Amino acid sequence: MKISLNWLKDWLPLELDARELSGRLTSLGFEVSSLEKRGPAFRGVVAAKILEVSKHPNADRLRLCLVDDGTSRLTVVCGAANVAAGQLVPLARVGATLPGGRTLSAAKIRGVESQGMLCSAAELGLSGDHSGILQLPPTPLGGELAETLGPADEVLDVEVTPNRPDCLSHRGLARELAAFLKLPLKQAPASTPPAPAGQCPQVSIEAAKACPLYCARLISGVTVGPSPAWLAAKLEAVGLRPINNVVDVTNYVLLDLGQPLHAFDAARLAGPGLRVRFARAGESLAALDGKPYALSAEILVIADSARPVAIAGVMGGLETGVTEKTTSVILESACFAPPDIRRASRRLRLRSDSSYRFERGVDPEAVLEASERAAALIARLGGKGSSVSAPGIAGAPPPAAKPIQASAERINGLLGSSFPEPQIEACLRGLGRLHPEGPGRWLLAPRSYRRDLESAADLAEEVARLAGYDSIPSQAAPVPPRAAKATPYESLARRCRSRLSAAGLLEACNYDFVCEKTLRLCGLSSAEAPRLANPVSDEWTLLRPSLLPGLLQNAAGNLKHGAAAVKLFELGAQYARRGQAIEERRHLAGLLLGPLRERCWKPELAPDLGFHDAKGLAQDLLSGLPALKWTPLRQASGATAADPLFHPAAALRLELPEGALGTVGLLHPTISRAWGLERQPVALLDLDLERLLVSSWPQARFAPYSQFPASWRDLSLLADKTLPYAELEAAARGDAQTLRRLDLVDVYAGKGLPAGKRGLTLRLTFGRMDRTLTDAEVDSEIARALERLKAAGAELRR
Amino acid sequence: MATPKRSSWERACEELEARLSREDPAQAADLAALDRVRVGLLGRKGALTELLKALKDLSLEDRRALGPRAQGLKTLLEGKIAERQNALERTADERKLSAELDLTLPGLPQPRGRRHPLTQILDEMTRILSLMGFSWAEGPHVEDDRHNFSALNIPEHHPARDLHDTLYLADAPLLLRTHTSPVQIRSMEARRPPLRIMCPGRVFRHEAVDATHSAVFHQLEGLYVERGVTFADLKATLAAFMEQLLGSSEIRLRPSFFPFTEPSAEVDVRCLFCSGRGCPVCKQSGWLELLGAGLVHPNVLKAVDIDPERWSGFAFGIGVERLAMLKLGVKDIRQFYENDVRFLRQFDENIA
Repeated sequence: MKISLNWLKDWLPLELDARELSGRLTSLGFEVSSLEKRGPAFRGVVAAKILEVSKHPNADRLRLCLVDDGTSRLTVVCGAANVAAGQLVPLARVGATLPGGRTLSAAKIRGVESQGMLCSAAELGLSGDHSGILQLPPTPLGGELAETLGPADEVLDVEVTPNRPDCLSHRGLARELAAFLKLPLKQAPASTPPAPAGQCPQVSIEAAKACPLYCARLISGVTVGPSPAWLAAKLEAVGLRPINNVVDVTNYVLLDLGQPLHAFDAARLAGPGLRVRFARAGESLAALDGKPYALSAEILVIADSARPVAIAGVMGGLETGVTEKTTSVILESACFAPPDIRRASRRLRLRSDSSYRFERGVDPEAVLEASERAAALIARLGGKGSSVSAPGIAGAPPPAAKPIQASAERINGLLGSSFPEPQIEACLRGLGRLHPEGPGRWLLAPRSYRRDLESAADLAEEVARLAGYDSIPSQAAPVPPRAAKATPYESLARRCRSRLSAAGLLEACNYDFVCEKTLRLCGLSSAEAPRLANPVSDEWTLLRPSLLPGLLQNAAGNLKHGAAAVKLFELGAQYARRGQAIEERRHLAGLLLGPLRERCWKPELAPDLGFHDAKGLAQDLLSGLPALKWTPLRQASGATAADPLFHPAAALRLELPEGALGTVGLLHPTISRAWGLERQPVALLDLDLERLLVSSWPQARFAPYSQFPASWRDLSLLADKTLPYAELEAAARGDAQTLRRLDLVDVYAGKGLPAGKRGLTLRLTFGRMDRTLTDAEVDSEIARALERLKAAGAELRR
Repeated sequence: MATPKRSSWERACEELEARLSREDPAQAADLAALDRVRVGLLGRKGALTELLKALKDLSLEDRRALGPRAQGLKTLLEGKIAERQNALERTADERKLSAELDLTLPGLPQPRGRRHPLTQILDEMTRILSLMGFSWAEGPHVEDDRHNFSALNIPEHHPARDLHDTLYLADAPLLLRTHTSPVQIRSMEARRPPLRIMCPGRVFRHEAVDATHSAVFHQLEGLYVERGVTFADLKATLAAFMEQLLGSSEIRLRPSFFPFTEPSAEVDVRCLFCSGRGCPVCKQSGWLELLGAGLVHPNVLKAVDIDPERWSGFAFGIGVERLAMLKLGVKDIRQFYENDVRFLRQFDENIA
């Protein structure tokens, strides 16, 4: 909300400049997001000296002033009482522009031509002071005042939190500052309206819960025209465009007191009377913003006898609005229930300064005050003939909020402070009526505008705010030692991150959103992907059903930027629709592409990564996990969301007794092409971490090893390419009791081998716990192993 | 009385000693020369070998007297030769290696990866808080209205909902959590106080994405509920946390509003870059706004059936990306989510 420093001074004898003020507001809890100096909103106003003051021949209260503006002598008609010869005053010459955009022309006033205008501070928009002509400090005659008077105003953009609707006005913020700075709050200017005249409007409420109080006055004989400069300047300072004297007054009172008002053109209302009711099906309204709105039964309206004429608390109707032709005005001031206004505003997607305040809650006690203020002002600015009726009132202010038990002990107890009782009492006194209930204990009835106060905690905040948060000690009470515990997921995630990053993978972090197109490019169905009702963009319409599409996107992006290798992993949630519920499972996904090492001058150390690297990662990550089974994807039972991404013949499903744990394999070639990744193999890894959370990972325990030397033999074998290594290994192992290790140390499928064959070298290591094996013992184990291998289809290479 | 045999032996020995002092075997230029010296002295026909052999012709008494002298000479000589041999071999080895090895070739790149910078920052924060007794807690990203809003004292049709632009699910009355605070509710539903937890995690907002705004970002939430927890406890806890995290314990609390805390505060930390003198990072204010905090609102405690007259608590939340951007000098929040390897590579461990 924009706050004008000049305007604030109407309420407060403030001597701070805008910077200091913004600091104070910040420590009170009102962040100031910007500070703006406003230059004078006038042009062509110069310093002039009054040479002579004489009586106007035709008017008692007007004077003629002969002034010298440095170049010529002019006669100016003036109504102010404080003019005297010798004064240095602002002279608006003919042709000058005044706040509100008005251009001054020569005019005859009661028969005497005025060759300009002497101005008050208010008329120049410099302050609210319109008590008399502004007296200037010594200034060269004829000097353009717009350049010498400095900033006319300073405007602060103040952020008011939703709990403090009472501060959405100049008076509201002034009240806060008065309490904080210990300054007296000025009284509202006297606004006694002229004696009631004209018929009091009839009003009725048909929705008492949504509108507890409604008040309307008839102001007749109004001449609608431009607002005076002081009013225009005030509105312009806070960013509002002056419209006419009636509308401007409603806006002015809104920003001054915080009570939204609305003015109807009485002549355009179908009488008799106004009623507050919910809209009926089929009704609609063209609002002041020029747009038509279809209304429904939960939207509260103000209606005349024929139709809705305003969306209650949000915006008035175009047809019944005030125009230059208006001569009588019905001025509405009311109190609406916040949820009803908020609902209507949301439903219609229509927000206004009124709805903003009503949905936060207005001060019920300001309803009549604002009505009276605004009516008197409209009557004053609306010309001689205007008169104001008595208010037509329906309903009553809602009952006051419940009193709060307050005690100094409780407040200090919450804050950890030791504010003395009188200080706390003084603060509470500012919040409402205080009934003593014992030493240091009170019952507090909060003021009507402090509906946010409900509990001791609220009072503690008020005390702390006024004293300053800095005055609360920084002191922690001793806490019994309690060791922090990690969740199982946290521990597992830490293990995954440290192992995979040590293995050379970079951790990625993708958004949780995808779109159908991305999924289609991945061969994934979007049928089960949860859909967002209000996505941020067309590319983010679904929640990801797998982490892998994100990594593929990252891989393609990195290749485009010239990366030779992409090794990524990500931990995160993937989502699936399960009837009315959304299933959210945390997964680990990995992607490997390109050489093991980049920019390596030993190419033999930088082979391209492939399936077996991904498999190795999974094996390392899951080492020690009992009952883990690897099954070719084609033979695996059941499906996971990411299955279509994998090459069915180049992927393994990892299974635990509880179900599928994940998949490791090569990217499907079709999808690879779709992403432009076909130039090198892409290996993928997908693990369901939720599955790992429920399975138990045994604690490592020491296994003794032999103190005696081991013996090893390499067996170079020749076997059909189609013979799986696993069968070969099983045959080599057999039941050999003294076999300690078996390692595959080479696989050769190049030249010099019979067609359809490959060579494999196994290293068998033998040993015993109690002694060294003899060569004869090892040889006989090898002989038996070779027999088993022969039976399995492998023989020694010659 | 010296026998002729003894005196001739002694003469031979003295001659040898004199020769050795003239030509130190350790001065041999290379291994071949050293070997010649060794053979000449200690070989089968070597001078010293001969002298030792001649001992047997002396009387027992003379052998006893002169034997140690000859043996001492031998030990000394063998030691000197071995030492020289070692030195010569070492020099030869070193010369050979230095010819083969180009020390200026680059080291072979080690394929080590990195944790994501956001993970690194979060790990550092949770490490510190865990030392302060905060245990990990977690909750789902897809939440219901109760956990994300109403139990946190944000009723439907309340303007406080405007503080969070929410992403809703299309086919279910669910939403993506707008903050990590629902985990407070879940934790308090699951366990009675005392409670000292932290919840790191992702949050979601319906927000147009630009350099400083993201629809997905990370928060870390802390919650402490116990008898007699005060605002002073909160201040001290945050000061200790910030001192460990940023090396600056100077914090400032300003009144603010969060529906789920009362009193509420925005927490500023002395600007890390200018120590408070004012710089572009802190927009000349000398302070960086980093956390939101406050005492747990009584309505929140009531919503999970905890009596606010008996228990009180504090909660705080910190935006991870903002802190990461400040610490790492990242200017565009989107870079955390682009996964460009040139970005991810930059942030090595120990940044926090």
